[in-house]
Amino acid sequence: MAGQVLEFLSSWGPLWFGIGFLAPLIAQSMDAMSIPAPLGLPTIVVGLIVGTTAGFVAKRRGSWV
Amino acid sequence: MSAVNGIRSTPSLRTDRELQREEATIARKYLGRVPWEMVVWGLGNFVVWLSLWPLVFSGMLPLWAGFLLSTLCCILAYLPSHEAQHSIIAAEGTKLRWLNELVGHISTIPLVFPYRVAWITHKQHHAYANDEERDPDITSRAETWWQSIWSSIKGRQPGNQEGYAKAMRETDDPNRDRAILEAFALRTMHFTVLLICAWTGHALEGLFLWLLPRHLGSIYNVLFLSWAPHHPANETGRYRDTRAWKSPIGTLLTMGMEYHIIHHLYPKIPLIDTAKAFYEFEPILTERGIRNDRPNKTGA
Repeated sequence: MAGQVLEFLSSWGPLWFGIGFLAPLIAQSMDAMSIPAPLGLPTIVVGLIVGTTAGFVAKRRGSWV
Repeated sequence: MSAVNGIRSTPSLRTDRELQREEATIARKYLGRVPWEMVVWGLGNFVVWLSLWPLVFSGMLPLWAGFLLSTLCCILAYLPSHEAQHSIIAAEGTKLRWLNELVGHISTIPLVFPYRVAWITHKQHHAYANDEERDPDITSRAETWWQSIWSSIKGRQPGNQEGYAKAMRETDDPNRDRAILEAFALRTMHFTVLLICAWTGHALEGLFLWLLPRHLGSIYNVLFLSWAPHHPANETGRYRDTRAWKSPIGTLLTMGMEYHIIHHLYPKIPLIDTAKAFYEFEPILTERGIRNDRPNKTGA
């Protein structure tokens, strides 16, 4: 049972990583380089859109590259 | 003497048993000491890596310097644990066993490489070196170094089921479940630290102090600790699965891996002693027909 829970959580790892780390990383990188977000969105929203999408794609493909 | 396909051999005048006896006599000279330098290397490297965090966060060290030093620490993180995997620091049941286990667990934290997983998979690597089905390190096999780097990157992807993932799935090692649990705990800790960095406005610090150095360190280690000493990794057997070779970037930058064949023959000889041992073993190993890709002393 515990093994199945760990396996489930791990299998969604790329998505957790995309939301939890990539999203703020993208936002903070945009802020550091003074890159404005499109449509007047906050940079964290851009980060969350890109990070979640990238994480989901990586989860589906089983690869980031 | 002939030199074809890395084989430098002289017609053996001695029997297998005589060679074995001579090998054992030499090996005994290098066995049994505690390699304190590896203890200092392992624990010291971890302390240096850990100290980079407050130094960077307090502004005493620029992030770019922290990144370079952290990458160096990650490169240096594996080998002390490797000594512990072979119980070279202290055997089971001895007084210093706790130190062996401490070095084993602590030193690979920067790489997010759990000790027990490393230990289980490394035992399989020694038992089945270059075996396409059973060697977990066979995934580093490639014709060129850049192909090896690429396969190392691909091997680190979340959906990869080969290499260590396959070895851990198929092993009947009694420590398997414990190893998987420790691996999960270590990865969760790594992810939690990155998460805290990211959501407190320090995502770049998390990226450059741990995430990137960890992956760069692993790629470097796979290249020089796995690909190069076993290249072309197309033969099995005690005297043919690992080679003696000359690194274009030197012994220090490859962390002694030019003499990795000694480690495969006698895994309990400390890393620091493998070069010295190699030159003592060399005449016997030549008779054994090892793969010796080091330039011939006579220039042939």
